[in-house]
Amino acid sequence: MAQFWFYVFTLVFFLFDYFILAMGLNIQYGETGILNFAYIGFVAIGAYVTGAVSLPNSVGTAQQYIFGFNMPFPFSLLAGGVASMLLAVVVAAITLRRLRTDYLAMVLISLSLVLYDVINNYVRLFNGADGLYNVPQPMAGVLHLTSNAFVVFFACVTGVISLIMWAGMSRITRSPLGRTFRAIRDDPDVASALGKGVFRYQLTSMLIGSFYAGIGGGLLIQFGGSFNPTAWLPGETFVVFAVIIVGGVGNNVGLLMGALLVETLLIHLPAFLPDIPGHPGLIEYIDAMVIGVMLMVMLWFRPQGIIPEKIRRFALPVGELLNRDGHSVEAPVEVASTVTSATSIGETHEGNQG
Amino acid sequence: MMTYQDTVAPTGVGGPILRCDGITKAFGGVNAVNGATFEVPRNKITALIGPNGAGKTTVVNLLSGAMKIDSGKVQLGTTDITNLERYKIARLGLMRTFQLSRELGGLTVLENLLVAPKVQAGESLFNIFFRPRLLKREERQNLERALDILQTYGLYDLRDNRARELSGGQKKLLEISRGVMAAPSLFLLDEPMAGVNPALIERIGGYILDMKAQGVTVLMIEHNLNVVERICDNVIVLAEGRTLATGTMKELRENKEVVTAYLGEIINAGPGH
Ligand SMILES: Nc1ncnc2c1ncn2[C@@H]1O[C@H](COP(=O)(O)OP(=O)(O)OP(=O)(O)O)[C@@H](O)[C@H]1O
Ligand SMILES: [Mg+2]
Repeated sequence: MAQFWFYVFTLVFFLFDYFILAMGLNIQYGETGILNFAYIGFVAIGAYVTGAVSLPNSVGTAQQYIFGFNMPFPFSLLAGGVASMLLAVVVAAITLRRLRTDYLAMVLISLSLVLYDVINNYVRLFNGADGLYNVPQPMAGVLHLTSNAFVVFFACVTGVISLIMWAGMSRITRSPLGRTFRAIRDDPDVASALGKGVFRYQLTSMLIGSFYAGIGGGLLIQFGGSFNPTAWLPGETFVVFAVIIVGGVGNNVGLLMGALLVETLLIHLPAFLPDIPGHPGLIEYIDAMVIGVMLMVMLWFRPQGIIPEKIRRFALPVGELLNRDGHSVEAPVEVASTVTSATSIGETHEGNQG
Repeated sequence: MMTYQDTVAPTGVGGPILRCDGITKAFGGVNAVNGATFEVPRNKITALIGPNGAGKTTVVNLLSGAMKIDSGKVQLGTTDITNLERYKIARLGLMRTFQLSRELGGLTVLENLLVAPKVQAGESLFNIFFRPRLLKREERQNLERALDILQTYGLYDLRDNRARELSGGQKKLLEISRGVMAAPSLFLLDEPMAGVNPALIERIGGYILDMKAQGVTVLMIEHNLNVVERICDNVIVLAEGRTLATGTMKELRENKEVVTAYLGEIINAGPGH
């Protein structure tokens, strides 16, 4: 029985964690149009830094890594988020100013490969190919949790964090800042012709998204206690893309759906299924195929995702509909009468106030 | 209440609002703009006319910072804006429309206008989380103004439609109204009346006159000389990237060089063209 709940809450953890990751990629790609094919690199930096700051000093351990501050949760997690943002500043400075979307995507893929190689081979950074392990479980000691109870506890913690981050993200996407992001996504030339410093906004969007990536990554290492290069093969970026494309680019609820379908049901649930006799590991391959097919089907038949981006309607000021009848575009209006209708803008306002 | 008059960026007093001094732009071997020199008088409607390929759109691209100027100088009011980044030029009060309308397709018609005010408190992360009341107030003011403008431009009923779903003529109107929402001091219109029906041409003419009445200076590229004659105070003739002549339409009709270069066929074709 305990085993069953261990499975369930492991799935719950991955659901919420990928919800966070999906929100981060969505603000960059779905809202701002930055095709960040290096996304998983930002997740990895979050994971490594969170792990490395929460581990004790590496001297005298079997591992090699920088930091080693014994930093408690949730500060370790925040450190991961911030580290990921720092990486975003560097990447944005190199790429965003000069490159168009398609080239940007290619350069970002290359950057993520470089990052992968550096971390894999420069052992002193994050223990190279072995990665970090034995990362302490947050608060497990204080609360005297068994390892099964920890899974339940941490899945719930992750759920709460993801809801807080969801609230923050909704606030951003519904604000004028979110609107400007979407304007840049639709046409950066028009946005800059309207006085929007495109680079600044893209950088802001990159920073927000990387913070989410870093937190999502940090939660991964806090949950599992280890993180190594097999966990972030560059192809993993496309799993997150699959989550947001299946769920619905530009819609936060859609992202949760995407995380449920792709990450939880397709990737992690089958890991708990018994192997097909005589074909160990076959399920994983079938998995990857199913995701690929699902992506293609979605892009063909429902490119807007399961839950598409909402049309943002605005509550009209009180009395609005009564005062405005709005003539249709086809109606011919004399030049002279148009002049009066426009110069009477001020009067319309007074009418509203009265 | 706020109208767009209140927010017009101050750009020096008196004198022309824009001065353009021998600007050039070459694409490979083509000298698209080749020493164009002209002034745009403040608070007037000025037409920029010339044959196809004369370099009119390129001039607009250069003035608005969408393309780099090879040589020459552009002054907006008292500010040198030569090769300034284009969003900075926009912030100084210079707006432009595109010859082929460019709507922000995924945004609604209303959002296309709401995004236009150049500086918004709601575009700062800090304000979003720590000054929600300021945001609400600003957003409400912008909303009122946007709805007013949409109503004037006959787009009110389409406000919640995605902009990419509009017809060609509606997109033209959207682009012009979006520029108006940004409260420009100088508004560059690239063929605002191309491809729209005669009734809509009349209406757009009215809107442009309205802008002038509200203190906006307009520089418009236009092929329809009837319209130019009726609403423009001044005309700049561009041919092969150079300023051929400037003056009122009446003066230009008497200018031999202009008539042979550009007006000839049109005038000789008789009235109604
Ligand atoms: N981006 C570009 N790359 C290469 N050549 C260009 C570019 N833009 C314009 N040109 C060339 O510059 C010249 C002027 O073009 P421009 O679009 O400014 O003409 P225009 O006066 O606006 O014409 P029209 O009345 O047909 O719109 C043309 O010969 C055109 O081919
Ligand atoms: Mg043109």
